[in-house]
Amino acid sequence: MFPADRDRLQPGFVLHRRDYSDSSLLLEVFTGEHGRLPLLAKGAKRGRAPSAALLQPFTPLLLAWRGRGEVQTLVRVEPAGRPVALVGDALYCGFYVNELLTRLLGRQDPHERLFLFYQMVLQELAASRDLDTPLRRFELRLLAELGYAVELDRDAEQGLPVQPHLYYVYSHERGLLPALSPQGDGAVSGATLQCLSRGEALSGSQAREARRLLRALLAPYLGDRPLRSRALFAARPRRPAGT
Amino acid sequence: MSNPGLLNELVAALRCLPGVGPKSAQRMAFHLLQRDRDAGRHLARVMAEAMERIGRCRQCRTLSEHALCATCASPKRDASLLCVVEQPSDIAAIEQATDYRGLYFVLGGRLSPLDGIGPEELHLDLLRHRLHEGGVSEAILAISPTVEGSATAHYITGIAEGSPVRITRIAHGVPLGGELELVDGGTLAHAFAGRTHL
Repeated sequence: MFPADRDRLQPGFVLHRRDYSDSSLLLEVFTGEHGRLPLLAKGAKRGRAPSAALLQPFTPLLLAWRGRGEVQTLVRVEPAGRPVALVGDALYCGFYVNELLTRLLGRQDPHERLFLFYQMVLQELAASRDLDTPLRRFELRLLAELGYAVELDRDAEQGLPVQPHLYYVYSHERGLLPALSPQGDGAVSGATLQCLSRGEALSGSQAREARRLLRALLAPYLGDRPLRSRALFAARPRRPAGT
Repeated sequence: MSNPGLLNELVAALRCLPGVGPKSAQRMAFHLLQRDRDAGRHLARVMAEAMERIGRCRQCRTLSEHALCATCASPKRDASLLCVVEQPSDIAAIEQATDYRGLYFVLGGRLSPLDGIGPEELHLDLLRHRLHEGGVSEAILAISPTVEGSATAHYITGIAEGSPVRITRIAHGVPLGGELELVDGGTLAHAFAGRTHL
């Protein structure tokens, strides 16, 4: 590293943190330029102005680090804006997005575009009551950025554009195919697929279909270990609508 | 390295304590062996007994040698107040610093899906039961102000739904004796949002 480059502050987010000794934190950080990387924040929990309050998920940060080896040391951190105000169910969704990134991103792979998409999904989750649409959009973008892009706007066999009134199934080997019956296993309506590929808002039943589809699309890359944030979201106590 | 033996085993065993590295573990071992064998024997006895006999209170899940801890069993405590904390050490801190006279519930952590900690690990079913069985009028959430803490608080508010319990949380803000300038933006924003009438 050149001296001028040393300690350069870079935009990033903490995806996850855990205690490391009494006073330090071990962070899993996501930046555009360096992707996902682990950083050790020494003494973050003590001192005159401890940085533990700042080093939290969903807070835009500027980070500088140094060192060799896999785990480098955080040397400076500054806020790059206000924490994204995720509350309630949106917060659980934020955990889900972070868990997806920790599970699917290799370490130190640059992901400039994904870093932008990440900030967008956090903003959308904070701003909207519809959590499904931004999540599905992010999942599709994540797959594409990882090199597993899926084509949802035309049928893979004949190349015909998806028709809203028809039903389709997605095969990992062959792509999108017309479904034999709308009630078939994993059948998704063309209308839902159109919303997904255009990034348009999903209605209630479409949201359920899209959730099931994306879960199936992500499954091969996530492996056997279930996503804990998904389980938490499913187990959460439901509150009456409007609260 | 040197000979493995009982002495080395003792040094290695002492290193399981938080903040104890090889050097201080060695100092402790030599101190006990050379200067204070009685204290060492006493420590070993108490340690063995504590490890066997101390379990969890069935009501609040704090560490206790009895099925019901002293706080839960005490008739002097106000059973209509329930303070939800993360760790038994939080109870000690609250007892020392405040004149709180209610009861407690110890979660043992906070909801953190990325660490694999979910509602079951925190025994939130037990808490739900406690909130719904009646007798509690206010549950005070004294949980760390982190994102995991706020997820936990949200979850608890959800399970209290339908019970008459009022859920409150302790104030978050500027530390006493602290200077505003040095407080991070997030804390200051919280402090502003939670300002109180004078």
